[in-house]
Amino acid sequence: MNKDVLDQIPADEQPVAYKLDSLVEDMQLSPTFQWELETQLMDAAKRKTRPGQGWHTKIIPAVGWAILALCAVFLLNWSIRSLAPNWTRAAGGTSEPQISFEDNVRQANICTGPLALAHGFAVFLTNQDKTGFVMLDEQKTIGELRSFAWSTDGRQLAIVGNTTGRGTIYLTDSAGNTLQPVLSDSELGYLMDMTWSHDGKQFLMWSIENNSIIYLLNVDGTGLVEKQLDVQMFATPQFGPDNESIIFYGADSSSAGLFEVMLDSSQARMISARVEDESGYALSPDGSRLAYVEMDRELGEARIVSEEMATGGKDVIAILPILKGSGSSLPESANLSWSSDGKTLVFDFGRGATDRAVYLAYVDSTGLIKVADSGHAPAISADGRCLAYISNKQVFLMDLSSTPSNSAPTPVLLTDLPAGRAIADFRLDKLQWRPGTLP
Amino acid sequence: MATFMNLESQYPSVDDARLAQQARADPEAFAELYRRHVWSIYRYHLAHTGDVKDAEDLTSQTFMAALEGIRSYRGTGPYITWLIGIASRKRARFFQRRGSRPEVPLDAALHLPTPGLPTDKAASRRLQMDQILGALRNISRDRAEALILCFFGGLNFVEAGLVLGKSEAAVKMLISRGLQDLRTRTSLALEVDYE
Repeated sequence: MNKDVLDQIPADEQPVAYKLDSLVEDMQLSPTFQWELETQLMDAAKRKTRPGQGWHTKIIPAVGWAILALCAVFLLNWSIRSLAPNWTRAAGGTSEPQISFEDNVRQANICTGPLALAHGFAVFLTNQDKTGFVMLDEQKTIGELRSFAWSTDGRQLAIVGNTTGRGTIYLTDSAGNTLQPVLSDSELGYLMDMTWSHDGKQFLMWSIENNSIIYLLNVDGTGLVEKQLDVQMFATPQFGPDNESIIFYGADSSSAGLFEVMLDSSQARMISARVEDESGYALSPDGSRLAYVEMDRELGEARIVSEEMATGGKDVIAILPILKGSGSSLPESANLSWSSDGKTLVFDFGRGATDRAVYLAYVDSTGLIKVADSGHAPAISADGRCLAYISNKQVFLMDLSSTPSNSAPTPVLLTDLPAGRAIADFRLDKLQWRPGTLP
Repeated sequence: MATFMNLESQYPSVDDARLAQQARADPEAFAELYRRHVWSIYRYHLAHTGDVKDAEDLTSQTFMAALEGIRSYRGTGPYITWLIGIASRKRARFFQRRGSRPEVPLDAALHLPTPGLPTDKAASRRLQMDQILGALRNISRDRAEALILCFFGGLNFVEAGLVLGKSEAAVKMLISRGLQDLRTRTSLALEVDYE
């Protein structure tokens, strides 16, 4: 570390800083490795810049493919236009024109209640006519608003915020009018996720300070209980059926996977060692089934599974192909959630922000639809009419009432993604409609 | 900093951004960028993985990806922050593949080569670094990442801020709090040699 930089550190911490710097300086890199890697890089760089591989030789095939793709798009467009009117009539003419869907949403005839958004370390709610998002705590007094969760009746929104490594949980009404701290300036450390119990009486949360401990807290801020787990938690705890257990992605001494831990006995069971992603699982609204995405690297399959909690019986709802083996280019599944009627699941699946698709799966195994080629953080509204998702810094809506079993309807732009407080990983983005039937 | 740092550079006064532009057509320019930053990237990965082989593997992957994507570096920010961005993505995939952030077994975690030091001194330093890496896994992620970027990755506060999406002042605060955390959690490791 540069001495000028070290000197900017507060005097109290400088001895520690200089000591750490000296230890880091001792971390030597093997000269053999350096030479080998440089040789590999030089070889690769030379191949890359070889005259035969110049831009003109690369662009010719690319232009060819582009022309071919344009022709294909033109043909496909022509085919769809010629078939679409017949298809609508055959379906009984039930699908509404696109403009009607958009007007219905903005006039709060369907998909009522605000859509909450976590983005850029801030939390937002849609305004009344859903033409934009309003940031909660615009005074920015709270710190990094990390995530949120609606209560099951939709009357309250709980928010997790962190200031200089200390977590606070806030509650606000469904319009975001007041932010009341429930757990202030927590000694628990940097809070990661929290969730509501199914009866709306308790919060479950965990802190990065110690991922083998979970905390239970009454919604009024009393009765903080700490529970030691034999399993390390990595992400996204959820209450199990009847609030008797918690389900989360974690690891025991031998392997990582999806676990269920009983709250009374701390007894843990591994549900699946093939679950590899932090938010690729969700309990159904009635608590009877758990959906998750299993990665089977031997068969090259990502299986969307619905497991009955009472019996452990599994149904494979759909399968997506993945590369076989243990390569690093495996896609991840995220933001899996159920529709309120328990008939459909949505999730995103892919690698980076731009090569991640949004999927809708019917729980009765009758279909899996890629509803957006590029998108993430999907969420279905409480009435089941709207699917919201983020794509290319915008929030889109899709009319689910007219979704045929094998293709997706045209999305409608809801609004642009607002600027957050700071740049955060897109994986922290989250959308969630207010649940319940409140006006 | 043995072999590479002693090589005479063909580009002694050329800044990273200009070198990155030249590297699109000149392998030597990319090699110079590699020599300038390989230590930072290696130490960044070693701090995260605690394992020499994994750190070397991730360092290879990072520079290979940088070579492939050198045209996408537009020079709008420091080259090292762009490179750390690649390193960060490689690291994320690595931990996903291994099942998030595993606890590294202590005996297998650190085989940090420290040539030039007497055996007992080297062993003591390994132990100290072992404690620090362990502590970094148990403090707030923001603080740990700021410490890793600045101390292991060699970034200054502004560059670390660009990577973390935070202001320079916020990074200084994270570093200060992170050092406090390390002082309380690794007091033996850090205070043994106070003079």
